[in-house]
Amino acid sequence: MRKRGLLFALSLLLILATALAGCGTRETSAPNSSQPAINEGTGNTGGDQTLVFGRGSDSVGLDPANVTDGESMKVTHQIYDTLVQYNDEDTTVKPALATEWNVSEDGKVWTFKLREGVKFHDGTDFNADAVVFNFQRWMDKNHPYHHGDFEYYGYMFGGYPGIIEKVEKTGPYEVNITLKEPYAPFLQTLAMPAFAIASPEAIKKHGQDFFKNPVGTGPFIFKEWKKDDRIVLERNDNYWGEKAKIKTLIFRVIPDNAARFLELQAGTIDIMDGLNPEDVQNVKNNPDLQLILRPSMNVGYLAMNMDKKPFDNPKVRQAINHAINKQALIDAFYGGLAKPAKNPLPPTLWGYNDEIQDYEYNPEKAKALLAEAGYPNGFQTTLWAMPNPRPYMPQPQQIAQAIAADLAKVGIEAKIVSFEWGTYLEKTKNGEHDMALLGWTGDNGDPDNFLYVLLDKDNAVKGSAGNIAFYRSDELHEILIQAQRETDQKKREELYQKAQEIIHRDAPWVPLAHSTPPLAARAYVKNYVPHPTGSEALNKVDVQK
Amino acid sequence: MSMFAPIPHAHDSRTPAPASGPTPTRASGPWRDAASRLLRSKTACAGLAILALLLTAALFADVLAPYDPVHDADLYNRLQPPSAEHWLGTDAQGRDIFSRILHGARISLEIGLVSVGISLILGTLLGAVSGYFGGTVDLVIMRLIDILLAFPSILLAIAIVAILGPDLINAMIAIGIVGIPQFARIVRSSVLAVKEMEFVDAARAIGASDARILFRHILPNCLAPILVQTTLSIGTAILDAAGLSFLGLGAQPPQPEWGLMLKEGQSAFQTAVWVVTFPGLAILLTVLGFNLLGDGLRDALDPRLKR
Repeated sequence: MRKRGLLFALSLLLILATALAGCGTRETSAPNSSQPAINEGTGNTGGDQTLVFGRGSDSVGLDPANVTDGESMKVTHQIYDTLVQYNDEDTTVKPALATEWNVSEDGKVWTFKLREGVKFHDGTDFNADAVVFNFQRWMDKNHPYHHGDFEYYGYMFGGYPGIIEKVEKTGPYEVNITLKEPYAPFLQTLAMPAFAIASPEAIKKHGQDFFKNPVGTGPFIFKEWKKDDRIVLERNDNYWGEKAKIKTLIFRVIPDNAARFLELQAGTIDIMDGLNPEDVQNVKNNPDLQLILRPSMNVGYLAMNMDKKPFDNPKVRQAINHAINKQALIDAFYGGLAKPAKNPLPPTLWGYNDEIQDYEYNPEKAKALLAEAGYPNGFQTTLWAMPNPRPYMPQPQQIAQAIAADLAKVGIEAKIVSFEWGTYLEKTKNGEHDMALLGWTGDNGDPDNFLYVLLDKDNAVKGSAGNIAFYRSDELHEILIQAQRETDQKKREELYQKAQEIIHRDAPWVPLAHSTPPLAARAYVKNYVPHPTGSEALNKVDVQK
Repeated sequence: MSMFAPIPHAHDSRTPAPASGPTPTRASGPWRDAASRLLRSKTACAGLAILALLLTAALFADVLAPYDPVHDADLYNRLQPPSAEHWLGTDAQGRDIFSRILHGARISLEIGLVSVGISLILGTLLGAVSGYFGGTVDLVIMRLIDILLAFPSILLAIAIVAILGPDLINAMIAIGIVGIPQFARIVRSSVLAVKEMEFVDAARAIGASDARILFRHILPNCLAPILVQTTLSIGTAILDAAGLSFLGLGAQPPQPEWGLMLKEGQSAFQTAVWVVTFPGLAILLTVLGFNLLGDGLRDALDPRLKR
């Protein structure tokens, strides 16, 4: 018995010691970071530098058509090009492998003129045949090289072949893509890294193993992949566009956020993503480091389940909108790196309606609205919070507690409920919640990707709901469908602005924040321009030591 | 558990100075002896002092705590270091850590008493029946206990909470179930020794029923080891509950439970050490207190250690 007692005391001491040692590590690492970094591939002039990118997990595969995860796209973005690409800072589409394009009157036939003189990394030519081969590989389930699931194709174009009727070569450097019906986000979608053009010869040569032997036309050439450790790329000296400034690009996997940050401080990596909000201040205070902010194209929100009382009452939903102090949440739990949200759309997207006046933080007004709705003494409810951090909501458990405290001030008693992440998504899709926290990161820069997916009545189906407020507005539905069919950008913009007015009035959500996910880099990393979609080509990045 | 010598019945005159009696009220002598031995031990007194503090905190948390542990949140005053206003600083929600620790003492004590209560009642019952009747009953019960013992205790608790759902009450139930085997085995071995005593034969001879013999004559003589085990188990239960809460399987936010406070302080502890230090110290002191007292009790109640 005595031994056990001692054991408890000792193990507790051990826990405390570990905690204190943690503080110690922090302090001892600080002097390290002020010393010159030890880096692989040092050199004095630009051109033969190495950039090491630290990230949380490895790529699933390097065949962009066959992956859906951001960690894969981050790498394939370097190796491949798409027909069209997004601007460096936003999702405006500009030429890439296609230099010009036009669309027929009826919006169904798209003609692309292709860039001449471009070669794949294996030396074969990029031309109309290559484009046709890639499209057919994606869209035709019977194609001999349709190895894999090609999820993004099915997801964006509605099946195999889905909305694309045919893709034809109309000249050595010209292709026609014919759609079954007009689809406004088409061009936007082609710029997604998933629709990059790969070398047909390499696909034929490697077959099932193509995902390990990627060959594209991009600014970097694939060299080596050690699973769960690193991927090494080297500059493509024959790149058609702006040639890469750095010679070697290494993606290293360091799963723990804090451990990755320690490596950055020690200088064994040059840049990292997935920075803890608490560490933002540490980056700012360290002259050897810089903070890089990814422009936000996401929204974190609180959905109120309109299938349940009292959230069927618009006054209650508006009251809750008035009761939550968004700015305080952002200052406390986003490290200040977010903007308060008033619309479901992030302000960086076209079609954003800036005219809308947010429901301001006003507990008195909230109480008055609750009284009008017949709940002068508030009510009891549940508030669901995800168990783990998401890019759009770094500390959901803390945010839930702060929201519950805000709601308590107007008389609403919200019990916090949480489940394991998979269960959480499943249960919210089933509409089992009263109020639930969730969010969304856009992937093609089209408002349809937010509004239709998250708020249309088509997606308010129990079991597979993207619209977990179960908000069913026929008025909104008509506008959103009209906007999908409309091909005039100006008119689409007006339709989406109208849609945001309706959503604001009906208040199915409390839009909380548009976060700005932070990256941290050594101060000598120059020209790193993070893209809102979460991945970017690194050909312009330089290392100046 | 053979270190607990079976304590002879109080009116067994062969033992010159019995360490224990059937009930504390009737035979004050041996219990008073034990109490004085307990108070002579410095470590046991330290344990008692810590537990007195804990009890005061738990009973008078409402009066002592300067702030409300849940509702006095202030996001503009978060992660403040200890000061005159907030003795132990504030947490990530801007709540007063001192007030939360006081209220947490109440939760911890509740966890200790409820979960050990479950282990104590069920474990004693199973152990007593098993030891007294022997044979097939003994075989079945003890194999079940062996199965329970085969799991690492925290894993078993996690499994039970996973079935019942994450919640403080369920965590108490899980920890209670995990603690059953220890009580069952201690009680069984004590019962095995005591039931061979002459006074048991005497009781049987005058026609007492099994239940009467077991509960009136045998169990009171097994009190000492049970008391020691109870004290030690409360410490373990509090530690296990803190562990479950740390894993998100026990107390749920915004409850001021110590393990949960550790979990919530985790992401900020590089910049605000006090957020994890004080709840950690509270757990350490409480468990230490119960263990010191348990060890002291064991020494005080063991007649062989009498000088």
